[in-house]
Amino acid sequence: MWYMVAAYAVLWAISFGLVFSMILRQRRLDAELQALRLLVEDEPRAGSRQ
Amino acid sequence: MKRQNNNLLVGMTALSAAMVLVALYLALVGAPEAALSSETGRYAQRIIYFHIATAWVGFLAFFVTFIGGVVYLRTQRRAWDILALSSAEIGTVFMLGVLVSGSIWAKPAWGVWWVWDERLTISLIQFLIYVGYLMLRASVEDPSRRARFAAVYGIVAFISVPINFIAIRLWRTQHPLMFGTEGGGLSDNMMFAFFFCLATFTVWYATLMWHRMRLERCRDDVEQVKQKLLD
Repeated sequence: MWYMVAAYAVLWAISFGLVFSMILRQRRLDAELQALRLLVEDEPRAGSRQ
Repeated sequence: MKRQNNNLLVGMTALSAAMVLVALYLALVGAPEAALSSETGRYAQRIIYFHIATAWVGFLAFFVTFIGGVVYLRTQRRAWDILALSSAEIGTVFMLGVLVSGSIWAKPAWGVWWVWDERLTISLIQFLIYVGYLMLRASVEDPSRRARFAAVYGIVAFISVPINFIAIRLWRTQHPLMFGTEGGGLSDNMMFAFFFCLATFTVWYATLMWHRMRLERCRDDVEQVKQKLLD
């Protein structure tokens, strides 16, 4: 029984690892996109001040 | 259209999750016990439902990488490169699952975690070949060169799939042959659980591919915005 539980646990750990890494990368991209958006919004304001 | 696609992706993810739960039930409880003398052997035998399904997804994923590479070289369209990359990444992860679950099955069945027999060694080499594919992609800066190199590598690397598949037929390996001319290793009652697991993993692979490709397209969008800001 132990081997069966171990095999299924490892398979799920690997699969969730993949899903988790995709979620993490998506979050990083969202944060980067947000930062870029702020940069784009700030640019015209900075231009008008000059 | 985008909203419709999102709903479809959510639906597909939910379908995958539901199918995985049913597959788990069938593999662990629903399928009949194997006619083996030891209790440990009977439990360990249930590993094969997910072990083979994982291997199937690995092979399918490498085939999709091969197709993506061929079409990319013909069309130079980024979409095919994204398809090849996403599939190679998922396939590599699933191949790791095959190696580990196979090793755990081997301990009660053969008394050892690992033997250097043809099937197992080829599977390990195949896994390392696709790790190499991902490392190659990470090491080339220029996007078009990276896509071209990866396409050629993915096409050549695919040779490992048919070699791995026929290894148990070509050589006298310790690895059991599930389906052959002399009959399979599963009874008719086990077949339903087995094929359901195959279908589940195929749907799950498609769902993961969709998510992974979406992520890559999002990364492309971020890169484009960055480039525009720099220009």
